[in-house]
Amino acid sequence: MDLNFSKEDLEFRDEVREFLDKEYPKHIKEKMNNGDELSREEIVEWHKAVAKKGWMGHSWPVEHGGTGWDATKVYIYLRELALAGCPTFVPFGLQMVAPVIWTFGSEEQKKKFLPRILNFDDWWCQGYSEPGSGSDLASLKCKAVKEGDEYVLNGQKTWTTLGQHADWIFVLVRTDDSGKKQEGITFILVDMKTPGIEVKPIITIDGDHEVNEIWFDNVRVPAENVVGEEGQGWTYAKFLLFHERSSIAGAPNMRRVLNSLKIKAKNTYHTDKPLSEDKNFQSKVAQFELDLDALEMTELRGLAAMREGKSPGAESSLLKIKGTELQQRISTLAVEMAGHEGMPYGGPYGFSDVEVAATKSDQISAPKYLNFRKVTIYGGTNEIQKNIIAKAVLGI
Amino acid sequence: MNLSYTDEQNLLRDSVSKFCGSDYDFETRMKSVNSENGHNPEHWKLFAELGWLAIPFSEDLGGLDGGDVDLSLMFEEFGKSIVVEPYLANVVLSGGVLKRSDLENKADLIEQLIAGEKQISLANYEPKKGFNLDNVECEISDDGTISGLKTTVLNAPNADSFLVFGKHQSSFAFALISKGAEGSKVTPYKTYDGFVSGDLHLENCKAEAVFSKSDALEILHQAILEGIICVSSEAIGAMETCYKLTIEYTQQREQFGQSLSKFQALQHRMVDMFMETEFSKSFLLKVLATDDVNERTKLIYGLKNQVAKAGKYVGEEAVQLHGGMGVTEEMSVGHYLKRLLVITNLFGSNDYFLDKYIES
Repeated sequence: MDLNFSKEDLEFRDEVREFLDKEYPKHIKEKMNNGDELSREEIVEWHKAVAKKGWMGHSWPVEHGGTGWDATKVYIYLRELALAGCPTFVPFGLQMVAPVIWTFGSEEQKKKFLPRILNFDDWWCQGYSEPGSGSDLASLKCKAVKEGDEYVLNGQKTWTTLGQHADWIFVLVRTDDSGKKQEGITFILVDMKTPGIEVKPIITIDGDHEVNEIWFDNVRVPAENVVGEEGQGWTYAKFLLFHERSSIAGAPNMRRVLNSLKIKAKNTYHTDKPLSEDKNFQSKVAQFELDLDALEMTELRGLAAMREGKSPGAESSLLKIKGTELQQRISTLAVEMAGHEGMPYGGPYGFSDVEVAATKSDQISAPKYLNFRKVTIYGGTNEIQKNIIAKAVLGI
Repeated sequence: MNLSYTDEQNLLRDSVSKFCGSDYDFETRMKSVNSENGHNPEHWKLFAELGWLAIPFSEDLGGLDGGDVDLSLMFEEFGKSIVVEPYLANVVLSGGVLKRSDLENKADLIEQLIAGEKQISLANYEPKKGFNLDNVECEISDDGTISGLKTTVLNAPNADSFLVFGKHQSSFAFALISKGAEGSKVTPYKTYDGFVSGDLHLENCKAEAVFSKSDALEILHQAILEGIICVSSEAIGAMETCYKLTIEYTQQREQFGQSLSKFQALQHRMVDMFMETEFSKSFLLKVLATDDVNERTKLIYGLKNQVAKAGKYVGEEAVQLHGGMGVTEEMSVGHYLKRLLVITNLFGSNDYFLDKYIES
């Protein structure tokens, strides 16, 4: 057991760096460094650049176009991307629906959807939560009735992240309400251009439009778009959630944010000495680093297990809880550093033409903090994750 | 020892509570937030008519001779509805400086302030200068001209006048500057809690008066201390609403066939929110009931640290227990968190005030 990279690993790291140096679009990099929002086109451009290199399938099996990297390489790859400040991959196709399709989907579905996901030709979004079904997801009511070789969908989904950009949505629908609530759920793939779908924005407390309500009014979907068997959707849904949760932690990204805060602290004065020399600040940074190390190693353990063919299981809940807690902690640290100069609202709907004395990074600290309140709620609240660990891991 | 309020204080609390309860629901508040001024001028007029703007001024200045206790219970009520009308900026901070100052025409200014005819903003903090009140670059010259940049000047877009704190000769002083004075410019902005604020740019701007040349720093300090008591009280009011909203929401919201409020893990979280609120109230009372000046100052530093921490915690928990709905703009609970977070960062960070407490 050792933590050192082999010569081959180091060469691979250099290869990733070279790729980022050459192919990571400069205008996107600049926006990311400034904390500006990317347009749909820019997000697609970034994904396409990675796809062109053949590196989109870092967590995919080789047979479906995966890179075939071992855990160390995947770790190096994601770490380099995060340290370079690249946008995170939109996970709904790549990390969420794709594993469901290659595990439970038909040959036709694999052929039709997987290459387009890998190439980011389609933008996917998620139709899981409903207004009355959040933590208790299995109580969902969005209905699909089979008519000939079509299903007719009626109902509402909510919290659909970036649904306004999506080409496709995977939806959990109720096809039978006679038995237990977990039974009678079906997993279906829906083209967002189908008549009867309406996307309504939800504005969150940071002032941003990231999540949406998706309404289905007699939306007709070909029966061939059902994944696996009708009524077995809950099994696939849980499988997907494990994948979702294991990709939420985001340790490398936090490493980058922490580094930038440490640099900023050298020039931040709350009193007559820089914050970097302040004992309180130093101990907060140190404690954060220690927790981050532990999180990162937990992530690596999971990655190693995945390479040995194990699907992420209930253990992914550990990563979800700790990762999101740390994300909130570091966003709090940024707000604390900004002090009262973080008060001018720098969110997406803030000022556009006035020149405010406070720095941009101070101004976006609070909107970021507010945006990150969602992370302990989405993907199954952290309270639900603790229930899962108690039940499925500890056997209580 | 006496920890009860006087009849007058109870009357004041009832009157503020009545306004906030019946005339200031969340929708009304958001209308104020989204209006051009960032607050409702009709409300401001009403505050003046009810005599609220006169509370912390002595009778010879046309005030009601109220003290910190009166301000505190008023702000606790404001906090329950996160009132955005600019009481802190005008009455507590600018009023707090004016009433202690030696400005010749202060009686006139205070009279107009009390009548709600004039708004005044205090401009003391500067970009990248941190929290120490004496750390300013802005200099008021012997002939009363002043240049420099003041940041997060609360309620700046609505101010008719500014009290600018700066270096003067070998000490500090305040300069009185009118809105639109030659060489002055306000950059207005919203702050993320829905209030308005601004930067004040000054370039060879001639002050109408330079005052309190011997004790400006001490006066500023006293006004800020009073401000801390007010925002801490406001935070406590907001915390109370946060845990109450959360109890209400978890009782209504059903998952797994029962109300969320039936889950013991969540009950404990709400108990913790309640406890944080109650202990914050107790600490505030300790401050209000302490007479010794030095001890009181030290305790105010402690109060800011305690209440800011508790407020952020309670606000965050309230959002978390509201689930996805908690992070939406349409629910009030997120707006409470935003205000609580701003209070955490007003006048200095938690660590800063803990250090001040230790040092004093």
